[in-house]
Amino acid sequence: MTPDERRCVVTGLGVICAVGNNVEETWKSALESVSGIHKTTSLDTKNCYADLAAEVKCDTLDQIDAPEEKDRVSKLCIKAANEALADAGLSNFGDDQRVSVVIGSCVGGVLSIEQYHQHGRDAAEIAKMPIASIASQVAETCGAGGIVTNVANACAAGTISIAVACDLIRAGKADVVIAGGADSFASVPYSGFLSLHALDENGCSPFNRCNGITLGEGAGIVIVESYEHAQKRSAKTYCEVLGSGVTSDANHITAPREDGVCLMEAINRAVKNSGIDKSDIGYVNAHGTGTGKNDNAEITAFKNFFGEDNANVSVSSTKVMTGHCLGAAGAIEAVFSIKALTTDTVLPTFPYTEEQSAALKEKVGALDFVQNKARHKELKCVLSNNVAFGGTNAAIVFSKVPGEVSAQSAKAKKIAVTGLGIVSPLGNSKAAYLDAVKAGKKPESASVHSTIALEDYKELGIKMAFYRKLDNLGQLQTVSGMRALQDSAFQVTDDNAKDIGIIVGTSEGGLGATYDFEELIAEAGNAGGSAFKFPHTVYNAAGGYLSICSGIKGYGVTITTGPLSGLDSIGYSMNVIHDGQEKAMMATGTDENLPIITEFAQKLGVAAGDVVAPFAENEGFVVGDGSVSIMLEEEDYAKARGAKVYCYALGFGHGRKNVKFGKLAGSDEALDKAINDALADAGLSAADIDAVCGFANGCKRIDDIEKGALKRVFGDKLATMPLFEVKERVGEGRAGSAALAAAEAAMLLNGELASDNAYFIAGDGSVTSKAADAAGLKKILIISFAAGGSYSAVVFGKNP
Amino acid sequence: MANEEMKNKLKSFFMSDLGVDGDVLQFDTPLFGEEIGLDSVDSLEIISFVDSTFGVSMTGVAKENFQSIDTIAAYIESHKA
Repeated sequence: MTPDERRCVVTGLGVICAVGNNVEETWKSALESVSGIHKTTSLDTKNCYADLAAEVKCDTLDQIDAPEEKDRVSKLCIKAANEALADAGLSNFGDDQRVSVVIGSCVGGVLSIEQYHQHGRDAAEIAKMPIASIASQVAETCGAGGIVTNVANACAAGTISIAVACDLIRAGKADVVIAGGADSFASVPYSGFLSLHALDENGCSPFNRCNGITLGEGAGIVIVESYEHAQKRSAKTYCEVLGSGVTSDANHITAPREDGVCLMEAINRAVKNSGIDKSDIGYVNAHGTGTGKNDNAEITAFKNFFGEDNANVSVSSTKVMTGHCLGAAGAIEAVFSIKALTTDTVLPTFPYTEEQSAALKEKVGALDFVQNKARHKELKCVLSNNVAFGGTNAAIVFSKVPGEVSAQSAKAKKIAVTGLGIVSPLGNSKAAYLDAVKAGKKPESASVHSTIALEDYKELGIKMAFYRKLDNLGQLQTVSGMRALQDSAFQVTDDNAKDIGIIVGTSEGGLGATYDFEELIAEAGNAGGSAFKFPHTVYNAAGGYLSICSGIKGYGVTITTGPLSGLDSIGYSMNVIHDGQEKAMMATGTDENLPIITEFAQKLGVAAGDVVAPFAENEGFVVGDGSVSIMLEEEDYAKARGAKVYCYALGFGHGRKNVKFGKLAGSDEALDKAINDALADAGLSAADIDAVCGFANGCKRIDDIEKGALKRVFGDKLATMPLFEVKERVGEGRAGSAALAAAEAAMLLNGELASDNAYFIAGDGSVTSKAADAAGLKKILIISFAAGGSYSAVVFGKNP
Repeated sequence: MANEEMKNKLKSFFMSDLGVDGDVLQFDTPLFGEEIGLDSVDSLEIISFVDSTFGVSMTGVAKENFQSIDTIAAYIESHKA
């Protein structure tokens, strides 16, 4: 049985969708086979072949603190979170560091992008746009002071969020996690799916007519709690959350693999990690979007996975009720799955005529596709799975029994850094970066960006048939990722493709591409969207392209929290390896500086007018970008293939003090906590650290936080301890710079970077700089930050 | 419109909207072959472009008409109002 300290239980549920504004209403609708699909009332449907949607009707969304500072997506999410917290008997946590928030989303604050574009380019809209605002605003609302992050894997994001929540609890990083997903119905996804001809004009009919999807909106929240924490407070528990599985198709940016093999692998991992038998699953809440490609791939995966062992497992899609709620889908379906499990009910897909039922039977064989009416069935375990753009597959098991969950099975393994790929405004290779450091290069202007050239593709053997499809963010990520594989001499083969995964960290992800798409449809109308451009609006497209280009088929997640996402990708990758899920992980930080991104920074008053250096006490910073990919491997696995080792990833830590999303002021001491956490995770003290790779960018408000925390943690030592600041060369490249700081640490530790300019902070706070030697550096701390008051820290060491 | 002009318009569209390198794209280059690698998503874009630019609907048209710029131009030419 799963030991108590690894058990995760569900103690609260919250939901809002087209068939109900809370769990009770929604569940009643599900039992009565009510569909929330109607003619849309909120969007322009002129010249559009489909005009149906499953919209939320709720007039109390604004009954929250400062609604004007929040996009509809955050309001939906906060409503569901408040319900779930009340259901769990929990209230404001007062910045409790053991309480986390993990929220999935696909399009995030897309309505605020539309508002900004069409109504006067108001700076107040900017902080509402990124997906990262959602979890931060939920955390601020309930005072969650632990890890706060967003999963941006499009339509699988809701499921992955709950999986990540359990991973955090099992790794001992949290006691309570508010997990789920949220998305709102808007012109960008509506127009995008229209352009792909993926909407069913008559309303979605999963596993039946299979003519397309119908978009919905909403939010689902599951309070995941450690069993021991729930026991201690005598909480009511719904069920256990057992294992999960996340894989990548490495096939196509929008379409799932027809053979369903990678989806099957995700389901297989979920069941295996749960320590249960296939036959323990009584009901599957399928992704069941209503497109032929998805539904047929799922049927194939179910038939092949369950085979003779569980040939008549019950299956249905509940999207005919809720519509396809994108990043909220997995979370809303988790709520359905948990209610189904705990009430011994299987939910239906509808409507099916007798003829259609017969045709379905022909297609699905012995599988029990539940049609038209919910019915009673004794259930032990329920599986929920989702599939997403970018080729992501995710599956998770909810259960009445504790199972035999595998977690932290490789905790004792050392993690080696074995490869680096660097794309920055200084050039698109590690060699270009090293040359630029040697030459003492600085940004050429107050807004700099990376540019991928045909030579990069040629050098990496990437064909035009592939690279022509990439948007700018995808270009940066693909080139840095392929360079990291090349640098680590890692050959992806059929045998090892599932041993390696990818975590992309990004601050704004596809925000720029979403803005471009909005610009296009504002001009051409919702019927004039582009099927070619639409996939780029999802934040995980860049990671998806890297998976397709490289053939990597393991874990594939995109996280978005702000600049620190470029370090969190390393921390979470360490956890994936320690969980025994993968042998190797590519952790990346990727952000782009399109003209609109510089415009946002200018409007927010954080863009410097001229080139500024770190600690220049300026009002703003140089806007930059970049993508840095870092290969992490289990030491034995790396050594067995003769890999070169740069250094070792020793520890990861996190701290948060809630302030408004878009702000940092007042959260300073959370950085101390992140540093101390990382040191403790590495089994070190402040005295063991020889240097810091920081996040200073020249903006006084940001740099002072770094200075203050380092002073408190390191005391007088700071006057002689080198502080390396990569942003002096590449500007503020958000997640790209955070990962670059980690890459800089790796190159200092292995001596490839023999010396670099370093800053020293005297007791009186004054800053000097001079070249510092890498020789003698054994342990380096890397730090980063995110708006809303989150900080992350990683420790790299020369030796394990 | 002269046939050549139509083909050049199509070529510009492939370059600007579908990311194809102009120097490898001749009027008879196979669009769905290994080198250019167009797929079903790209064909949606071609249909939309041809409809809005030349007023010819290619929805549901047989695949061989999409083989190259030459074949698309020929289809447009023979179906223009």
